[in-house]
Amino acid sequence: MSGPDVLFFWVALWCYLGGTVVASFYAGLRRKSLRRLVLALTAVGFASNTVALVVRTVVSGHLPVTNLYEYLTFFAWAIVAGFLIIWRRKELDLLTVFAAPVAFAMMVVASLFPARIEQQLIPALQSYWLTIHVTLAVLGEAAFAVAFVSAVLFLVANRRGAAAAAVDGGTPGEDARGPAGADRFDEMTYRAIGIGFPLFTVGALFAGAVWAQRAWGTPWSWDPKETSSLIVWLVYAIYLHARLVRGWRGNGAAILSIVGFALTFLTILGSRILGGLHSYG
Amino acid sequence: MLTSELVLGTVFLMLGVVTLGVAPARRWLSSMKTGVALLVLLTLLSVLGVVIGQGLPPEAYTERFGEAGGSFILHSGLAAIFHTWYFMLAVWLLALSILTCSFGRILRFVRAPGKRLERLGSLVTHLSLVVILAGGIVMARYGSRRPDTHYLKAGDTTEVAEGGFSLRVEEARTEFSENGVISEYVSVVTVIEDGVETGTHRIEVNHPLTVNGVGVYQYEMMPSAESVEEVLLGVVITASAADGGPFELEVPFRETTVIPGTNLTVKALSFYSHFTYDIEHGTAGLASIWHDNPAVLVRLSAAEGVVSENWLFMGTRGHESDGNLPCRLFFLDYEPDFGNGLTRFEYSRQPGTPILFTGFAALSLGLCVTFWTRVGRREPK
Repeated sequence: MSGPDVLFFWVALWCYLGGTVVASFYAGLRRKSLRRLVLALTAVGFASNTVALVVRTVVSGHLPVTNLYEYLTFFAWAIVAGFLIIWRRKELDLLTVFAAPVAFAMMVVASLFPARIEQQLIPALQSYWLTIHVTLAVLGEAAFAVAFVSAVLFLVANRRGAAAAAVDGGTPGEDARGPAGADRFDEMTYRAIGIGFPLFTVGALFAGAVWAQRAWGTPWSWDPKETSSLIVWLVYAIYLHARLVRGWRGNGAAILSIVGFALTFLTILGSRILGGLHSYG
Repeated sequence: MLTSELVLGTVFLMLGVVTLGVAPARRWLSSMKTGVALLVLLTLLSVLGVVIGQGLPPEAYTERFGEAGGSFILHSGLAAIFHTWYFMLAVWLLALSILTCSFGRILRFVRAPGKRLERLGSLVTHLSLVVILAGGIVMARYGSRRPDTHYLKAGDTTEVAEGGFSLRVEEARTEFSENGVISEYVSVVTVIEDGVETGTHRIEVNHPLTVNGVGVYQYEMMPSAESVEEVLLGVVITASAADGGPFELEVPFRETTVIPGTNLTVKALSFYSHFTYDIEHGTAGLASIWHDNPAVLVRLSAAEGVVSENWLFMGTRGHESDGNLPCRLFFLDYEPDFGNGLTRFEYSRQPGTPILFTGFAALSLGLCVTFWTRVGRREPK
């Protein structure tokens, strides 16, 4: 059974699509009016996304995170929320406009899965640990998404800046296209991972282990999704370790952040691909 | 298992001694490069484990990776990579690396001024990883987990040897929501220790019972194999052709039901979900608890007494051999009896869990302190 939330889901998806189109123009033209339009579309999409989640929560009687449609809708919402936190920072203006494309991508993937509402959860999912485990994991993953976009922008800005510096005789520009601007993205990547990593640890691993102990009698089963989450954790642990101890930054760090998010996304879809104990829907 | 543990333990001890005594080894183990290299190694091994698939039947690897590939995977331990000596060695080395590294952190924490909260967070984070690994090792060595081999119905008793107690099932049922979706699997059990009943408890998914350190988990639930809620019979009246159109008749189990348009009654006396017949003793029985060959014993009665009593098999013709009967009955379908089900438990003893969760709690705290005090600050360029 699909609910009334689906309408709001589609409104959000179309707004994010509009934001994506305008964002691509903004990336090239850098006009303030376009940025305002992107933010407006993203904000309307976010509001509609919020309504969709609230309506679904009310109709189903539980947090809508029990199948991939719901998970990805919530994930898109959390990603936009993450971007909206930093939208006032002018030096990151290019970053904030890319909330819409990422959210749009997540909503498109979500739309591929059935939007049925399960008013009665299966016994395995009837636990308050579901809310703790999934909410914190999604928030952590949303922070990784912000880091991912920031890392991509870093690579682009760094490359353009390096090219411009070569043409100008080695004088990097001060805008976001130069290495000085690229540093902002590099720092944002690190900060986003620094926020997401503890959330992911507490939500995906710790809360997951506690719930697994209550539901399955063991906190760890080397289930494909558990192992994938551990891999994501290890990748970001490597990033942070290298960054904090050795001040590692630059292209390598950005690529590792991108790899980390790719693995995060695969982990989200993992139960569909690999099966295992987490195959709920 | 024990041999590999002894080997790894010995290696660990030797490395520990070498680390303490030899400065280059200490430097190597405590270096960031070694730590990152070990993390990368564990990541790659984990990726291999996920991609290859763990604990599958041998033929599955041959099917996926060919004869040679499958054989290599099975012989190299890649099919159970997280229990191989090389994976465990990497884990042990990482633990040693963290310990060595933490020793330096403790010194810095004590001696160096400033950033004390952040340093404490970092120290707690690293030491908590060692605690988590220790918890994992205790679980691997002393933990146990096994499903009961029997499906139990109300009245059955099973022994839980690892806990020194027995369980008697009082109830085993599946509950449904108003719209017919399964809402809960419920087992009510009485715990018996040394012949004395110590209490009656309810076990559900996510709500295990713990007795003497052994968790009893709701593992599986099946509908009854020897009773049903209701059978659906197809009826063809043969005595009076005018009234005899075929129709369906719902017959509650062990209740007398009148066949409309006749003076006949029908009653479902017995049910076997997987019918078998013992020719030697001439008795019907249950081959298994699965619903593979459902059969129901139906008694047809008239005012003057019992007309017939036959086993009907679902999906096959019924009563065909007896042409004198006033009607023919067919076993079309049935509603399983979820109220008197068959339950199956899993028993789990995990003495390492408190250590593991303490480590996780410390890790979470350490990470929050480390990063959330740091991300608010601008990094020095």
